[in-house]
Amino acid sequence: MKGRLFLKIFATYLAIAVLAVGIVGFLAGSQIRAKLEQQIGSELMAHARIVDLYPMKEIQAHVGEIADIARARVTILDGQGNVIAETDPEAAVLGSHLERPEIQEARIRGSGSATRYSRTLKEEMIYVALPIRKGPDIVGYIRLARPLSDVRKTIEEFTAILLQSFLIILVSSVVVAFLFSRKLTTPIRDMEYFTERLRRGETPGTLMIRSSDEIGQLAENINYMVDELQKRIAALQEEKAKVEAAFSSALDGVLILDHQGRIETVNRGMWNMIGERYRDLVGKTPLEAFRNLGLQRALDQYRSGGMPVPQEMELGEEDPVMLDVSITPVRGVDAAEGKTMLVFHDLTRLKKLERMRVDFVANVTHEIKTPLTAIMGFVETLQEGAIEDRETAKKFLSTIARHAERLNRLVEDLLTISNTELGELHFSFESVALSGIAQSVLHVIQQKAGEKKIRIASAIPDDLPPIRADRDRLSQVLINVLDNAVKFTPEGGTVSLSAAPASGNEVVVKIADTGIGIPRDEIPRLGERFYRVDKTRSRELGGTGLGLSIVKHLMTAHKGRMEIESQLGRGTTVSLYFPIAGNPSPDSRS
Amino acid sequence: MEDTRRTITHYERELQEIKQNLLYLGALAEKAIANVTASLLDRNSELARQVIEGDAEIDKLDTVIEEQCIRLMALRQPIARDLRFITTAIKINGHLERIGDMAVNIAEKVLQLNEVPQLKPYIDLPRMAEIAREMIRGSLDAFVREECELANRIRRMDAEIDTLNEQIFRELLTFMLEDARTIHRALLIMQVSKNLERIADHAKGMADMVVYMVTGINVRHQWPGDPDDICQAKREES
Repeated sequence: MKGRLFLKIFATYLAIAVLAVGIVGFLAGSQIRAKLEQQIGSELMAHARIVDLYPMKEIQAHVGEIADIARARVTILDGQGNVIAETDPEAAVLGSHLERPEIQEARIRGSGSATRYSRTLKEEMIYVALPIRKGPDIVGYIRLARPLSDVRKTIEEFTAILLQSFLIILVSSVVVAFLFSRKLTTPIRDMEYFTERLRRGETPGTLMIRSSDEIGQLAENINYMVDELQKRIAALQEEKAKVEAAFSSALDGVLILDHQGRIETVNRGMWNMIGERYRDLVGKTPLEAFRNLGLQRALDQYRSGGMPVPQEMELGEEDPVMLDVSITPVRGVDAAEGKTMLVFHDLTRLKKLERMRVDFVANVTHEIKTPLTAIMGFVETLQEGAIEDRETAKKFLSTIARHAERLNRLVEDLLTISNTELGELHFSFESVALSGIAQSVLHVIQQKAGEKKIRIASAIPDDLPPIRADRDRLSQVLINVLDNAVKFTPEGGTVSLSAAPASGNEVVVKIADTGIGIPRDEIPRLGERFYRVDKTRSRELGGTGLGLSIVKHLMTAHKGRMEIESQLGRGTTVSLYFPIAGNPSPDSRS
Repeated sequence: MEDTRRTITHYERELQEIKQNLLYLGALAEKAIANVTASLLDRNSELARQVIEGDAEIDKLDTVIEEQCIRLMALRQPIARDLRFITTAIKINGHLERIGDMAVNIAEKVLQLNEVPQLKPYIDLPRMAEIAREMIRGSLDAFVREECELANRIRRMDAEIDTLNEQIFRELLTFMLEDARTIHRALLIMQVSKNLERIADHAKGMADMVVYMVTGINVRHQWPGDPDDICQAKREES
């Protein structure tokens, strides 16, 4: 870079020098030559005129002296142009000289001069000639000649001086060009280095160039620009970080499609929603990625109408997620980019809740209606005369009582659930020894188990730490679970109750049966209200469908939890985890 | 990003469009099978009617894709791989259209079945439908990604469908032998099963074409040796 600039400046200097020297050389050279020739000519002429004052004879006699004085070759011609005397013996040629231009001129005009090449002396000469007169007649001519070599010598000397000065200019221009280019390029190179670093994304600080000329101004401008640029970059980065944080932490799923309609970006929320169902989304079109008609229809609609379209859709094969998608254009700087943003909102939970609510109302109505229908039926029969028959009436009344009792139980269960949910159920937590409670509970269950010839086994160690529980609720929990175990265990089976300390300051109570078991898929749904694995059977057995739901709620209120393991046809184990009394469990702190 | 946009030619965009349309058609066919299965399991005749009506959309798209393919062939004169792509697209298009028709066939049978009490719980039929859908989806995946191995895996899945079909046949046969009153229902179920089996055959045909598209080798009828060797050889070649 520097070299090139240096060369440019140097070449400019050199060109100027060459031009100057050339013009001076050319103009001065020709001037000097003309001047000298003129001077020699007039000098010779002066000598010739003096000589011409003398008569022919005199001149002839003193040719040698004249030549010495005039420092010239002297030729005397007669009227016909024949050489009479000649100082230069080599040039003594015969024949008429009348044809020579200087002689012709002298004959016609009275004096003549010429600069020409002398064939006799083989040199360029200046000739001056005058006619020698005797009265009006020309009796001869005197011609003086001097070689031009003198002139040439003078010009050569002048050229030499010119060359010398040219060399001096050359050397000094190299030096000046070097210095000047260095002075010019150093700040430019600094700026170049500075901007290069800037381009690479480094922060180069401030450009230090002290100069009041244009370069200094430029440096100042650059500094100002860099400052502005960095401020803007910082602002943009902050903005970007904010958007990115919102983008990645948003619960809603976001997909951004590029101008070709291919997925460009997927946020974490999206992955959380779709989970393991789809992989490698980036680079595919939504159709390739999801094969979803609903989504594709929404996209087509959006593309043809250009309007943001909200649309509900289902993604995934098994255990699908319900999503609500809205499509909007991403307004970028370049309109041709034409990016599209798809925002997905997870409706799965909402839909499930909606469904549960609908189911709940339907279930409650159904559960209440069944015993009510029976009661009304029997009452009607009684009214129609069955009351007269004492035996039948008695039987009917006991049936009515049984159904009323079931209704009552149902309402009580519902109340318990709604109270726990509302937080209006009051618990009096205390330190409870499990063995005591277990005994009274087993006493209640024993009777029912005995009818079905089910063996009840209990193994509760005496040194079990007391648990933090509400006595009444604890027995309710245990009764509910044990009742289920007995209900779903065929005759001759075994139901066992055991307890042991568990890790994390907990006591685990396990209720295991050898019953019919529960299919794996159904286990997560067991805590739902009115959820029954086998609907007809459970109702036959007198369940309300609320038992485990109540247990689940009560366990949550105890800051404990319930786990269910089961194998179809082999039996079910329900594990209840209670916190140990006096030892605040991790979650009780909150 | 900038560069890819410039290099995408009109021709490539047309190929892409055919691809996307085929995927959409595939999704329609898949949905038809899913709906018809649901209509059978939930005894939902409304859904079955929807499938029958929805076939019009499949037929329409089928014509559109075929036209696109023919246009492309006429105007661009594709060669080598592109030509194989187009021929494969035409064939897959045909297969998908037929699959749509079969979904309609099943829907018609389901409408009849829903009029009478259920003969038995359906266990193998939804399984067959599930595999058939997986085969369609897999074939299209293989087509889009040009994956020879995936296509081969789909081709092998057909055997499972055949087994299930035979199993259903034997089971229904026992029903019919025991009680003549079940014959009508059993025959309807058998036709459902047969149609599902045919759907799987079409899906396999699609996978065959994908192998052809990627390797240039026709494996449709009988191919000696392991088909995966073809994919392997092709990969080493390129």
